[in-house]
Amino acid sequence: MLELAARSRNIFKPGQGKTPALLVLMLVALFSVTQSNFLSTGNISNVAIQSSYLIIFALAQTYVMIVRGFDLSIGSTVSLISVASSMAMSHALGLGFSPAMAISSGVITGIAIGLVVGLINGVFVAVFRLNPFIVTLATMNICLGLASSISNGFQIFNLPDGLNATFYQGSILGIPVPVVAAFVLVGLIHVVLTQMKIGRSSYILGANPQAAFVAGIPVTSYLLLAYALCSALAACGAILLTARTGSGEPNLGGNLMLESIAAAVVGGASLRGGSGSAFTPVFGAVFITILSNGMNLSRIDGYIQQMILGAIIICTAFGEYKGRGS
Amino acid sequence: MSTVPSTCILETRSIGKRFDATIALQDVDFDLKSGEVHVLFGENGAGKSTLINLMAGTFGATKGELYFNGEQIHHSTPAVARHLGISAVFQEFSLVPQLTVAENIFLGREPARYGFIDGLKIDAGARRILKALDFSIDTTRIVGDLSRAEQQMVEIAKALLIEPRVLILDEPTASLTEAETEILFRNIARLKAAGVGIIYVSHRMPEIRALADRITVLRDGRKIATVDASRVSDDELVALMVGRQMDQLFPNVPCRPGRVRLSAHNLSIAQGDVRDASITLRAGEIVGVGGLVGCGKSEFVRALFGLEPLLAGDIIIDGQTIDNPTPADMLARKVCYFPADRNAEGLALPRNIIENSSVTAISTETLSRGPFLRKASERRMVDRIIEQLTIKPRQGGERVSSLSGGNRQKVMLARGLVRPTEIFLFDEPTVGIDVGAKLDVYKTIGNLVEAGHAVLLVSSDLTELLHLSHRMIVFKGGRIVGELEGARLNENEALSLFFADGPVLKAAAE
Repeated sequence: MLELAARSRNIFKPGQGKTPALLVLMLVALFSVTQSNFLSTGNISNVAIQSSYLIIFALAQTYVMIVRGFDLSIGSTVSLISVASSMAMSHALGLGFSPAMAISSGVITGIAIGLVVGLINGVFVAVFRLNPFIVTLATMNICLGLASSISNGFQIFNLPDGLNATFYQGSILGIPVPVVAAFVLVGLIHVVLTQMKIGRSSYILGANPQAAFVAGIPVTSYLLLAYALCSALAACGAILLTARTGSGEPNLGGNLMLESIAAAVVGGASLRGGSGSAFTPVFGAVFITILSNGMNLSRIDGYIQQMILGAIIICTAFGEYKGRGS
Repeated sequence: MSTVPSTCILETRSIGKRFDATIALQDVDFDLKSGEVHVLFGENGAGKSTLINLMAGTFGATKGELYFNGEQIHHSTPAVARHLGISAVFQEFSLVPQLTVAENIFLGREPARYGFIDGLKIDAGARRILKALDFSIDTTRIVGDLSRAEQQMVEIAKALLIEPRVLILDEPTASLTEAETEILFRNIARLKAAGVGIIYVSHRMPEIRALADRITVLRDGRKIATVDASRVSDDELVALMVGRQMDQLFPNVPCRPGRVRLSAHNLSIAQGDVRDASITLRAGEIVGVGGLVGCGKSEFVRALFGLEPLLAGDIIIDGQTIDNPTPADMLARKVCYFPADRNAEGLALPRNIIENSSVTAISTETLSRGPFLRKASERRMVDRIIEQLTIKPRQGGERVSSLSGGNRQKVMLARGLVRPTEIFLFDEPTVGIDVGAKLDVYKTIGNLVEAGHAVLLVSSDLTELLHLSHRMIVFKGGRIVGELEGARLNENEALSLFFADGPVLKAAAE
């Protein structure tokens, strides 16, 4: 019991959620004053559902950031998975499979593609020791090109009926499925990070890869697994997003690379590796979603929103740099 | 407050420096007279570097005052110090490897004509200063191609380009040969005669004897004493430095050699830093490995643990030949290596004491079940080790980055205790830690050997090697040049092996 209390206090250590939680509250205060419908039930549930996608992508990004990496390919992986799993589903329907079977085939295709992209990233980063910036920049372009070429640049329709109904409109105990999915994944990663050897090893190798090697940690395998896990999580998010739009979209990943990194960094993950938790991306993602929701309600131009997002990343990175320096 | 004597050129009054939570220097009164060589003496981490950096303006003091010629300097910067005529030669060079010798000597002070750097003037000036100092280095060579000794001489020439009033030398002979050292000493004598005040950081007794007028001893950031060099013995100096008599510092570990645990035959590593090295290490003994900086001793022990690529030779543990050693293999064979550079190779600084201590053992049955950690038993185990090694703070959740050097080293030691380790490879285990922590490390090593474990101790601290080793192996130029045992295990024999060729200034090992 005591340990549990100590653990929950840990979440609120400086840089581990306290600041982002405060930022979220400030934003809520600001927008609820300026926008009368900001606190309406409809908008709150809207923000919750929207946040859950970003939570999943930020969670994926946080995991690779813990091992001192990052994944620029996350957005285009999402596009590729959206297109490929949609094609699998509509093809399965065409072959006469039931909608449930078709959805399963889409999910399996999506996760498999996620794992393949993650393993490719992981092999080049972990085994060949290339810089994750270059590796994931390259796979970003490959995935983007693949997504556009296999779909000829068009959306893919004719998805199984149950997809949108289950994965977007469905709910469990009154909670929308995307929100449930986000929290299940956060819980899962929390257990991985705090209770499992892989999580512990990931922190150590992110904080100091050479020290991890000297201490006998199988650095290459865990680094590789981190990238695989990242893309697998992204695949889960991609399937949920596809269910929401109800079609396979070759540019579904659009802004996700920047947003997921922003959410992870705002939440408190460090580009220097070795820090961050499963909860930090939650705050970051909620913050960014509320920000963009509030700015939309305030009718702030989309391009200006992008500039604000960029500025926020720089500010938090600077804050983290100052924080470490003192 | 005493009046400043007329000859006193540089003085600090109760000067102090704090880095975050660490107090590097506290209440130090120091004065330098013109025309004297004032030696700063103390262990690693005693505050010598901090003090000279304060005087050279590298950073400001947190507390206290700095006077030059009796006038207080309020905000010292390197530029202010240079303007006053305070020149410093640090151990980390300030040279630009891509530029020539001449360009480096004039760096930041280039004579210009019509806004263009006057290359001819630079070259002529550089030649003049090098000739005056009796250093024979071609001024057109690229600094990156020079040996460390030559770079050291360029650095000194740079500091002396404009004759300073105060010259600070931080272990300048560390990379010089005897002949080069003699040239340096002649220059020091000339500067001294010209009234330059010289602050000389060193812990090599023979040099201190040859040069010092006065000696200030620092320990744990405080000034212990300032003494006249002519009125103090070597033993007294060392006792001042470590704060106790030598024989109290080292435990007396009985040698009960058992079976051979680890041996290496004709080991060579790819970079050529180690050639044909063979050793045997038995249970229940401490084998010391000594030699000068760069002799290959550290690379040798790293190679044993799989951290340097092997070119040839065999590593045998308990009778089994290990083909491609990796740290994970060696740990599984009950071998643990404790790196010299704890921060670069040992610790995950942003993580806590528990995680850093148990890291070598998270795959053992005690600490994990399948892929899951057993956090309760981990906590119990680390708490016990914190108690045993007196790690401070005692809270296992504390980040390692907030620990002192001594406590960081103890966290490293914990890694050998969390899993069944029987062969310990120590690489400079006491570098940069205070005397109290040293005692604890020595005690731990002693206990390990008494329990029948085998210890290989690589150290640059000759006193430590001589007092702890049962046998001592000496490296020179990547090869083992001798083994000392019994009555031959003494300073003279060791030093004559360290400097195996030709007559040598009898400097203590670095």
